[in-house]
Amino acid sequence: MLIELSGVSKIYNQGRANEVRALSDIDLTVEQGSMVCLKGPSGSGKSTLLAIIGCIFPPTSGKAAIAERQLARLPDRFLTLHRRETIGFIFQRFNILPELTVLENITLPLLPLGVPPKERRQRAQELLARFAISHRAQFPAGQISGGELQRVAIARALINNQTIILADEPTAHLDTALSREFMEIMRQLKEAGKTIVIASHDPLVFEHPAIDRTVTIQDGRIHVS
Amino acid sequence: MMRPALVFALLLCLLLVLDGALFIDGLVRRKAENATLAQLAVATSVLGLTDLAVATEARYTRHPAVSDPLAPFMDHPGAIEHFPTGAFWLPPSR
Amino acid sequence: MTAMAQSNLEKQLNILDYALSSLWRRRLKSLSVLLVFAAVIFLLASFQMVTKALSDKAKQVLVHTPEITLQKMSVGRQEAIPLAYRDRLAGIFGIRRVVPRIWGYYFDEVRLANYTVMGMAVEEMPEGGRLDTALVGGKMPGPDGQGRVVIGQAIKKAMALEGRTTFSLFRPDLSLKPFEVSGEFSSDTDILTNDLIVMSLADARDLFAIPAGLVTDLCVYVANPQEIGTIAKKISEALPSVRVLTRPQIQKTYQVVFGWRSGFGSICLLTALAAFVILAWDKASGLSPEERREIAILKVLGWQTSDILVVRFWESVLVSGLACMVGMTAAYIHVVYFSASLFRPVLMGWSVLRPDLHLLPRLAAGDILLTLAFTVIPYLAATVIPAWRSATVPADSALGG
Repeated sequence: MLIELSGVSKIYNQGRANEVRALSDIDLTVEQGSMVCLKGPSGSGKSTLLAIIGCIFPPTSGKAAIAERQLARLPDRFLTLHRRETIGFIFQRFNILPELTVLENITLPLLPLGVPPKERRQRAQELLARFAISHRAQFPAGQISGGELQRVAIARALINNQTIILADEPTAHLDTALSREFMEIMRQLKEAGKTIVIASHDPLVFEHPAIDRTVTIQDGRIHVS
Repeated sequence: MMRPALVFALLLCLLLVLDGALFIDGLVRRKAENATLAQLAVATSVLGLTDLAVATEARYTRHPAVSDPLAPFMDHPGAIEHFPTGAFWLPPSR
Repeated sequence: MTAMAQSNLEKQLNILDYALSSLWRRRLKSLSVLLVFAAVIFLLASFQMVTKALSDKAKQVLVHTPEITLQKMSVGRQEAIPLAYRDRLAGIFGIRRVVPRIWGYYFDEVRLANYTVMGMAVEEMPEGGRLDTALVGGKMPGPDGQGRVVIGQAIKKAMALEGRTTFSLFRPDLSLKPFEVSGEFSSDTDILTNDLIVMSLADARDLFAIPAGLVTDLCVYVANPQEIGTIAKKISEALPSVRVLTRPQIQKTYQVVFGWRSGFGSICLLTALAAFVILAWDKASGLSPEERREIAILKVLGWQTSDILVVRFWESVLVSGLACMVGMTAAYIHVVYFSASLFRPVLMGWSVLRPDLHLLPRLAAGDILLTLAFTVIPYLAATVIPAWRSATVPADSALGG
């Protein structure tokens, strides 16, 4: 099991007046090489669950093991190190820095790893070629089309050969054609051996044949249907 | 495409070269200046000079070393220091 | 180099690259900050260099100033001193020589310029025979000068004496006294002599209509320079109405004449302070939403808080360090190659005669470090604290759109 969560809860602002229980008692396992969809409305705790799987912060209680590392025991520094080797993120609205070029955006995760410029360029160009956007390498990311941006975001999530890809509402601002294209790329990545977790309430996503399993979340709990 | 750190390093080198050139020119100038020191020494001792001849607008800006702090105010009661250089060349308080 | 060290170095270079490109992306703002910063440093460094150059020059030159100068004071103002006072000094042991001088200021109504006129028996002064070495041409008028003078370069220029050698000055009763130029001071001595007209004692007495038996001051030379203080004391006891100025006192003037407490110095400091307050306030006024977003994204992508802090640190160091270098280099060029022309109004004000100041400041490593300490370090401090706040933006704020 690449991802194992048992009894995971997350409480924000614990003990204070604005205490919020985002997740309660979550049990979730994801096999290596599978694609899982977290389905649920906004406010259901999808993003929080994704953040825990993504090693952004540890759970308040319960056990979370990502790629055989127990998160609860890792201090923040090691959490970050683990995250950058293991997890590739694809955000809603892609969260690209518009003033940077496409190449610079894709190689951002490699800078703190001490990867020299030549190697960074090489890795980025491989990915750009794979997604057929090599011609956009030197363009400022704010000047390319939505479809190309999507591919840039995916390339960035793969630059460090991460094994787990997490996507948070990736199709929320895309049209049908682009959404389909996105899912097709995800399918190819799954076939290449990546483990993918997508949080989405878009039927185009959770009804896609490449999805192995759909997990419904509501009010911070998993609903078994 | 050079990496930004390299571009900056080159810029820095350029500045340092300029500073180096200024330094060397300064050394040359100082050598020339030392040659004139003898003349200045003679002028000072023979003429009994006490001040540098820079601000000739008032007697106490021209000769601050032999003036006193009251000098700017001696013209009339209620006089104020009105020369621009009075703010720079201050008579010493004895 | 070990692989670990190599990787670390590469990481620092990468972060430096990111900081540089971050500054370049906001180049208008970065450049403005750099220019303001450099301008402030330019002002402070120029002031420091000019005053240092002048102090140093004065220090070198005033070693030869008369050991003791006597001026008569009356009603708090300087008055002519009777030659008879010389006799009263005869009793004081240790005095080698007393030389009388008549010197004062001549105001040229036509050119609105002040000339310093010095009348003395040059041969009686120390090294008197050698004054010709300070001249570029001609020679000193002898004791029977008869209207012959030696002039400084600014006088020559002011009176347009190229080609002619005679000019006239007004006596107090508006009668004209003719003079003939027998020599010019070398322009290498400009800083001391440019506004001087040197003549014999008799000529000065005639020009200023000073009665016989009076002079403007007495130069006293002692046998043992260590005794200057003691002899000065004895002289003030013997002649109570006389102001006694010693060589150490005169030398000290130029060590304290330029201070940060002087009017102009205070203006420079206040300007610098104001500029810094504005810069620091801008830095401390928090993060824009774009900056928060950028930090959250970097964090999710695996950048640590320390990495982000290092980026901010580099940005500040690069801007302030570069500004310091540019400002100080510009200040040096301004002072040495342009004779501190921006400070002209303060250095020379309404003076009509303007000498060529050949300023050459001596830059010690200590001075440079001091300027750095008072400019770069406060700027770094002003940026580190908000940077710390910025680095604590939570990574998950990038999620959830």
